[in-house]
Amino acid sequence: MLKKQLILQDPLSFLGYETIDTDKKGNFGAVISRAGVGKTAFLVQIAISSMLKDKNVLHISIQDPVDKVNLWYKEMFLNLTHQHDSKQSKQLWDSLLSKRFIMTFETESFDFSKLIARIDELISQNIFAPQLIILDGLSLDNSMQSALNRLKEYSRQNKFTIWFSVRTHRHQSDDPVSVLRELGGGDASLFNMITQLVPDKDKIQVKRLSIDREITDRPPLLIDPSTMMIKETKNH
Amino acid sequence: MNNLTQKVRNIGISAHIDSGKTTLTERFLYFTKKIHRIHEVKGKDGVGATMDSMELEKERGITIASAATYCLWKNHEINIIDTPGHVDFTIEVERALRVLDGAILVLCSVGGVQSQSITVDQQMKRYQVPCIAFVNKCDRSGADPFRVINQLREKLNHNAVAIQIPIGLEADLEGVIDLITMKAVYFDGEFGDVIREEEIPDSLMETAVEKREELIDAASVFSDELTEAVIEETEISETLLTAAIRKGTIQRKLTPVVMGSAYKNKGIQLVLDAANQFLPSPIEVDNQALNLDNNEEPLHLSGKKEDPLVALAFKLEDGQFGQLTYIRVYQGDIKKGDTCINVRTGKKVKIGRIVRMHADQMEDVEKIEAGYIGALFGVDCVSGDTFAGPGLNVSMTSMHIPEPVISLSIKAKDNASESNMAKALNRFTKEDPTFNTFVSKETGETIISGMGELHLEVYIERMRREYKAEIITGEPSVAYRETITCSTPFDYVHKKQTGGSGQYGRVAGYMEPLEEDSFVFENKVTGGSIPTQFISACEKGFISCLEKGPWMKYPVTGIKIVINDGAAHSVDSSEMAFQAAARGAFLQAYFKAQPVLHEPIMKVVIETPAEFQGNVMGSLNQRRGMIIGSHDVGQITAIEAQVPLSEMFGYSTTLRSMTQGKAQFSMEFFTYRQVPKSVLESIEKKNEKKTRTGT
Repeated sequence: MLKKQLILQDPLSFLGYETIDTDKKGNFGAVISRAGVGKTAFLVQIAISSMLKDKNVLHISIQDPVDKVNLWYKEMFLNLTHQHDSKQSKQLWDSLLSKRFIMTFETESFDFSKLIARIDELISQNIFAPQLIILDGLSLDNSMQSALNRLKEYSRQNKFTIWFSVRTHRHQSDDPVSVLRELGGGDASLFNMITQLVPDKDKIQVKRLSIDREITDRPPLLIDPSTMMIKETKNH
Repeated sequence: MNNLTQKVRNIGISAHIDSGKTTLTERFLYFTKKIHRIHEVKGKDGVGATMDSMELEKERGITIASAATYCLWKNHEINIIDTPGHVDFTIEVERALRVLDGAILVLCSVGGVQSQSITVDQQMKRYQVPCIAFVNKCDRSGADPFRVINQLREKLNHNAVAIQIPIGLEADLEGVIDLITMKAVYFDGEFGDVIREEEIPDSLMETAVEKREELIDAASVFSDELTEAVIEETEISETLLTAAIRKGTIQRKLTPVVMGSAYKNKGIQLVLDAANQFLPSPIEVDNQALNLDNNEEPLHLSGKKEDPLVALAFKLEDGQFGQLTYIRVYQGDIKKGDTCINVRTGKKVKIGRIVRMHADQMEDVEKIEAGYIGALFGVDCVSGDTFAGPGLNVSMTSMHIPEPVISLSIKAKDNASESNMAKALNRFTKEDPTFNTFVSKETGETIISGMGELHLEVYIERMRREYKAEIITGEPSVAYRETITCSTPFDYVHKKQTGGSGQYGRVAGYMEPLEEDSFVFENKVTGGSIPTQFISACEKGFISCLEKGPWMKYPVTGIKIVINDGAAHSVDSSEMAFQAAARGAFLQAYFKAQPVLHEPIMKVVIETPAEFQGNVMGSLNQRRGMIIGSHDVGQITAIEAQVPLSEMFGYSTTLRSMTQGKAQFSMEFFTYRQVPKSVLESIEKKNEKKTRTGT
């Protein structure tokens, strides 16, 4: 019952990505914003929603230790369930833990070949078969084009979706799509789910973007910065 | 004894397993001329480190019991307690930290902040012990002290700041640059005992200046004078900077980091300097006792030797001369021939022989003053007792004692062994509050319980060696617990009429699950349906059912009992009748409340070369482990998992053979979790078999 209620709060459904996300064609999603706006919190919400739908989530974090990532999940899950019976929530949390695997790397020891080798090992040894991968904290740049293409191919073969956090800097263009297009070496199809987080007074707007333009048929979502949870839909 | 208490340091050395605590202590003793030759842990000379005085410690190369010693360094008297790194002996660390004023947190420059470093850090927080950090093993391949400093900040939340930088790393480690004096320090001579100070090499000047700025920046928060000097861009003196770092460290808001290699004798003298400079003296620490005459209100202890005595017995050891009681004196002094009060028993204690310890050697002294650690002979007490002077009724706050999680049945091979085993158990249980023993009522077996496989293994080995008791051990079993999962009402009448006065009592109410592992009894009876004098009998009756659950015979926890109705008879009701009624009510409701079995789950952290990580994860999966995650640091992967304790028996052997002995693991209690159905069946079968065969 609780699980069903929580599934209804899936951020991907709110954004209209649920059909893309389930086609298992090696999709790349990007949550893009400047530092400190809430990319990790948003990605963790996507991960929890997937876990609630019985999908295995591999959370890869660059730099943050396992405990810190774990704490993000705990916090977000508590925020999500704070109005529900605590005993039920605890049971649900315990049952969800087996659906998540955290893999963390120090920035200097990370490379894509190593990552693919690690995931291969998890799958081949029947340790964990991810269906969704969260790749958080990696500083993406143009030098990674071919590695990203290789990862895209790998995710197609293994039929999982990868969500990236993409941090924009002040010197970069204000247009997040152009940042992503650059990353794909001009290939517009590398990222097929793009979400931008934009601070808006005391809330954070979550905009769904396409590689060409902002999609305006859906009102943007709002995030409450105090809990980093999706709060309400802003009516235009 | 040095009477200048400001010049006294009571420090502990704590860290993860194999970080080099004992090796560091050995160097401390050597450089302070307490010993004249260095012996390595598991060294080729077979002597073993001085602080590992127990035969078993020397053989295994681990510290089992914390050992106390003292030394003199630059006019300061340093009392050192070397503690074990293995979590099974965590009580030794707890005891040490309780009575220490400061600590040196030793970290491996390759492994960084490891799982046990986190546990030790939590213990330091619990007892508010300020610390400095020593990044050891900078001579090892893959050494990176700055990564360790980042981990101190990120993983442990320390405001860690380097007060040194290394000159070379790995095989090229030559010495360190002191960022306070801005001098390069080299350690010459066979054992690094000749200190050579030089100008900073040009190649390192830029880094040194940058890191010194970071240091000044961090320290300036604690000193207005330093901040002013920074703003006015005047020269910052050593004294000013040292004082600011010291202030921050004592407040536990700054962790100065020193570095080197204990094994290669590099940087050790500067660790001793740092202990003197930054860690507090006994009078700088706010020690408090609980005032038993005033509702256990905290009472500040002055630390003055003129005030009435307050001392804590923090460790007991039974030796050939009788019981040795380690004490820390917080206030006043304790002299040979004095009489004081053991606050717990209220009995007078006459002080006989007083000694100061140096590993297993002792030196007779006349008195122990406030701020010092020593040991008493022939005093009857238990660990945690407070000794106070006449007219003082205070108790030092008790130490955190974790519950045992593993047990094992043991049997003596012959009669001689049996009496020796009894003697050994008597001693061990007195010394170690995490080691328990009892005789099973069903099987008549002697059961020992403790904190882990290694913990019990060590005691069995000690019984063999020190007491010549040949022991046969049974299979280890874990501390399962029963609990209920739903709220269930009860209404039970206990009625018996067998001639003479009868027994009558009716108890009604409900039981419900609790989230915590405790027992709560609530009386909601109104209108006197159960007379007040029988309420406590009801509670007793319920409590008697908890020790051994009606279902699987394991202790029942996490349960709340509420009584809200009942009945009594003017003649036939008695305490006994209500106790029996409560027991009946418990049995009536318990099975309907859907009991489940909980098992201890351990947090297991394995550090393995990356090439073995797949196999290691596979082995954890096979053991019903839930892998939380893996963390790649260079060539090493740290795997964190939650694994039922019952599945971890013999894991060290499995891990060794799987990784060619290159991986190490640590494990500590994490939580209790419900036993899955498939496993439950096998436990039931095992228990049935045990009951049938009586073994």
